[in-house]
Amino acid sequence: MGIFNTENLEIFSLALFFISFFGIITSKNMIKSIIFVMLIQTAVIMFWLKLGREDTATPIPPIIYDPALLDYMERIADPLPQALTLTAIIIGFSVVAVIITMFNALYRLHGTADWKKLEEVEGD
Amino acid sequence: MTQGLLVLWIVSSLAIVFETRTYRLIIYFSIFSLITSVAYFLLGSPDVAMAEAAIAAFASIFFIICIEKYYSRKENVEKDSAKGESLARKAVKAVPALVLCVGLFFLVIYFIPGIEPSHYLKHLYLQRFMTDVGGENAVTAIYLGYRVYDTLFEALILVIAVVAVTHMSYSEKTQVADGSHSEIETSRVAALSLRIICPIIVAFGAYLIINGHISAGGGFQGGLALATFFICRYMVYDIYDISVKNVLQWEEFIFAIIIVVTAIAVFLGAATYMPAAIVPIYQSVYLIIMNLLIGLKVACAFFVLFYRYITIERE
Repeated sequence: MGIFNTENLEIFSLALFFISFFGIITSKNMIKSIIFVMLIQTAVIMFWLKLGREDTATPIPPIIYDPALLDYMERIADPLPQALTLTAIIIGFSVVAVIITMFNALYRLHGTADWKKLEEVEGD
Repeated sequence: MTQGLLVLWIVSSLAIVFETRTYRLIIYFSIFSLITSVAYFLLGSPDVAMAEAAIAAFASIFFIICIEKYYSRKENVEKDSAKGESLARKAVKAVPALVLCVGLFFLVIYFIPGIEPSHYLKHLYLQRFMTDVGGENAVTAIYLGYRVYDTLFEALILVIAVVAVTHMSYSEKTQVADGSHSEIETSRVAALSLRIICPIIVAFGAYLIINGHISAGGGFQGGLALATFFICRYMVYDIYDISVKNVLQWEEFIFAIIIVVTAIAVFLGAATYMPAAIVPIYQSVYLIIMNLLIGLKVACAFFVLFYRYITIERE
């Protein structure tokens, strides 16, 4: 179980990224594609948060109630990726909400949730 | 424990790849997001963990509503075009994509050891944020102080998304609920327990928002908790008497106030001419007001989204 370590989280998030990429290009159903869009975002966020780690020990959250905590600077997690990913999560969800609505409209128009069938219907 | 979590993380994502039934997809997605949230917490970021958990819950609810309203429960995901195909033929079709993804993965892995992130900005922010912005939570200090324009544009994108959803889901056949839109009568036990839980949810959301600058939490997370209250209210009373147009206007109004408050804070923010005793109070008041406004705006936005998804009628 040596490889399953939080030290290798970069590799795992990359693996997740390519799993989701595989899912996006092979899935036939639209709902599945939307879920993989959310998964790919998670992979990127995880990679970014892992890069903010300076020390191998479990990081301290960046909540500095006592200035003496700054002596353990290596163990505190990086606040910048966290603040930016917070906005990224909300933006990603707003995009997904719009995508779900577009799916609803497509399904109402053509009656199918299948990419292949949609091509046939639109080709006519 | 972390090893098991990581294994489960990859397994649940693989389960989504191979699953063909729609409802199970959503369940696997919920499991995956829960594990992701725990992993974020282990990486020392409770704010992101909270936001991820709440967002995943909302996404699952929206997916389930969307499937329930449109997509039949019995319909399988890959039933449509892959009806006559055998499993071997499907596997052969996926080989080029598999080769592409695995090849790219190993190509990137080969170059990864060269990445050495610089921690310069982290040290800069952590040493200065208490005097520059105030508060004790460095994350809040960054998204309301150093990077406040990012937050403004994020709020703008949320407004645009809500307007887009409201207009795209409109059709001639859209019916506004009049109190009789539920097919199943609400269970009395569920209604009673939700009635007890509702005040706790509101108190929790208010706590997250008001304590956002001195502990984990903030405007987004508290706003999502407040939006949960509307869903509980819908499930308890089964009647909708709030106009969605009003809430949308409130959201846009709050967004305008956020811009005004930010503009005022930019002019006051130099803080060089302020007496030193006032500065901490001014900073706390600014952080609390901004968190409160963002929380109310997010709550309004998610309320409108939920309402639109609920009132789309099935044909």
